[in-house]
Amino acid sequence: MMKWIRWSGLAGFVVVVGLIAALWLLAIGPLMKMAVEKYGSEAVGAQVNVEEISLGFSPLSLTITGVQVADKDAPMENLVSFDTAVATLEPFPLLLGHIIIPDVKLSGVGIGTTRQYSGALSFDSNEQQVEVEKDKLDEDTATENVTESDSTADSQVLPSADEILNRETLLTSVHGEAFEGAYKLHKKAIDDAISSLPNEQGLKNYEADLNRILKGKFKSVDDFKQRKKEFDALKAQFKKDKQAIADAKMAVKNGKADLEQKWSQLKDAPKQDLTNLKGKYTLDGVGASNLAALLFGEDVGGYAETALSYYEKLRPLLVDDEAKAEKQALLDQRLNGRLVHFKSDNPLPDFWIKTLSFSLTLPEFPQDSGSLGQVIVKVQDITQQQDVINAPIKLWVTGQNLKDISSLAITGVLDHRTSTGSDSFSLDLKQWQLNNLKLGVAGLTLLSSNTNVQGKVVFVDEQMNLVGKGLFNQTKFGSKKTNTFAKEMVAALKSVEQFTVSMSAEGAVTSPSVSLKSDLDNQLKVAFDQRLDEKQAELENKLKEKLNDKLLSYGGKYTEQLKALNLTEGSLKDKGKALEKLGKAKLSSYEDQLKAEAAAKEAEIRAKAEAEEQRAKEKLEAEKAKLKAEEERAKAKLEAEKAKAEAKAKAEAEEKRKELERKAKEKLKKIFG
Amino acid sequence: MFNLLAKFLKLLNGDASPGQISLGFAFALFVGLTPFFSLHNLIILFLVCVIRVNLGAFFLGSAVFTLIAFIVDPLMISVGESLLNNPDLTSLWTGLYQSDVWRAFKFNHTLLLGSVVTASVLFIPMVIVSRIIISVYRERLMKWFEKLQISKMIKASKFYKAYEKLGELS
Repeated sequence: MMKWIRWSGLAGFVVVVGLIAALWLLAIGPLMKMAVEKYGSEAVGAQVNVEEISLGFSPLSLTITGVQVADKDAPMENLVSFDTAVATLEPFPLLLGHIIIPDVKLSGVGIGTTRQYSGALSFDSNEQQVEVEKDKLDEDTATENVTESDSTADSQVLPSADEILNRETLLTSVHGEAFEGAYKLHKKAIDDAISSLPNEQGLKNYEADLNRILKGKFKSVDDFKQRKKEFDALKAQFKKDKQAIADAKMAVKNGKADLEQKWSQLKDAPKQDLTNLKGKYTLDGVGASNLAALLFGEDVGGYAETALSYYEKLRPLLVDDEAKAEKQALLDQRLNGRLVHFKSDNPLPDFWIKTLSFSLTLPEFPQDSGSLGQVIVKVQDITQQQDVINAPIKLWVTGQNLKDISSLAITGVLDHRTSTGSDSFSLDLKQWQLNNLKLGVAGLTLLSSNTNVQGKVVFVDEQMNLVGKGLFNQTKFGSKKTNTFAKEMVAALKSVEQFTVSMSAEGAVTSPSVSLKSDLDNQLKVAFDQRLDEKQAELENKLKEKLNDKLLSYGGKYTEQLKALNLTEGSLKDKGKALEKLGKAKLSSYEDQLKAEAAAKEAEIRAKAEAEEQRAKEKLEAEKAKLKAEEERAKAKLEAEKAKAEAKAKAEAEEKRKELERKAKEKLKKIFG
Repeated sequence: MFNLLAKFLKLLNGDASPGQISLGFAFALFVGLTPFFSLHNLIILFLVCVIRVNLGAFFLGSAVFTLIAFIVDPLMISVGESLLNNPDLTSLWTGLYQSDVWRAFKFNHTLLLGSVVTASVLFIPMVIVSRIIISVYRERLMKWFEKLQISKMIKASKFYKAYEKLGELS
């Protein structure tokens, strides 16, 4: 038996396998780091940075440190970051290429943390930088606007026209900037093209040169050659200038078409802006919600927007279209074989985190009041192939060490087992002691309130449906402002001890139709209806004026420039025609000139001969015509005589017949008479 | 092709044991007919290294069976399909499917299962038949074959000489 065993082979096998395993173990960390950074960046659209990935063996586990996932829209911020993640791994599925992680624990989790360097991907780093700067600018402007609005809100219920125009993204501004940019671009192109055109004097010089070259006969072959050389040079210059004119014409034509289109968009923009703003800042069904939104400040809207933006970023990661397509392709490729799946208590998707848990510090609310405390987040069954494990992703967020809140619970179910997919979240917040919450109008502050909030949001196929309700008990309002309106407002609110705010949002996730209703609105509405109507009309007029001013600021000075472009186009056409005419001139060779002279003489002789021949022909024709006329006359005479004779013979025959008849009648009379 | 033929002749005409050669061919069935990067092939490689199997026969056989696999793959797939879809065997497959170890072997892949089953079925016949053929060849045909012109040509080729040298070295 022992003679069948090859000991050297056994040793060789062990050494080779050991070497491969050692190399794999050395390389796996850096390889995984590279893979996570590469594919993570591709999935998120921004840099994913990992400090280190190391492997542990008892049990098989991965430790990932220093992870930063940059925010695509704000590359100097992290979408999410964490200090350490410890993940246990199942070894056998790993051999099949399935990453099954029974448990992940994260520590040092942060959301929206600042990065030390930009997280934009290299290919669009410039674009991202511009966006970051733009975001910064927007933020600065917004901050300024908030300050301004605070000061102006003293005397107004609705925001001023200036506030609205600064707050909203106006089509007039967008199209105005686009028009301005396009105008500068085309102007430069046209100026460049025009600078290389011949001027009027240049055209006159061409004509003079051309006349000098073409006038008079060639005195000799040298004279001809000299003129020919000059003529060729002139022709080359013509050609160049003609091309320059064609280029300039094209530049003007393109510029004109583009600017006309942008101008027409710009002209329509104020009208559209006004319609949009009127719908938003009125007290109709939709507009009333905005008054409530103004009252409760921009904080709520801001947090909702942030939550939605996180959901928007997360959603594409939940749907594994690529995996589904691959699965179909695998089914189609029968020749390579296929995997047959059976019912299992142990399904294996490509990637599956069974449990993920971490703690997170809550943001401040209201602002500058310190964090609300911490939440423990637990997520179960994170995978892109929910159909394989037949379970949705489940989320539980529970408050811990909360400040001024009795309890906080958020639950979520992200179900993408079917192609439509449905994600739902619910929020239950109890006994939240709200203090000094600044409201958006007249320096109003919600001094204290015991608040309960409940809400549910469902996302189905990029459509959302949100219903939320906040119950504010034991409310107390106040205002630091001393103007009449603030006083009136505080007085009206004094009797209010309890009110509710209901929020609903439905429609596309990117632009849901939001409605915020409050019974507080009704109470205030009655008191301020009349004042609001007046303000509304005033605001609309102001908006109209401001929008027209804006249009003029973009468009006014360019109307003349557009006319000038038309003139330039006409002048270029004239220049083109003039050059065309000059370009048609021809210079023949000296031999051609001699040939032409001989040909001219020959043509003259030929013309003379032809004229002679023509004259003889005409004479002959006249003779012929005369003879023919005489012949005609003779023929006519003959015909007349013939007709006369026939008539005579006919008369005689008639007479004879009558005579015979008469004789016959007489004979008959005699016989019977 | 000439290379393969020279290798084959060297093997047949050498003094390697017919049992080791035939075992080499039999193990080659697995590596050649089944997808190479599979866990079971690691076991086959381990056995080939540890058991005194003729390595020349194993590598030669692997090359030949890999070529054959291109032709018979559809057949293997249909064998795998029929086995995996056989209602009588569903409980067996479902049982194995619950184990991560068995799934690591990808037993539920039609081509892999079909080819492994085929190779297993052919293993014993391959050992017996190739052993008989080698013995018969060496006893009755080797001398006659060596006299043939083609045999001389192959023996004169640089491949054959190179293999012969390698054989001497090993």
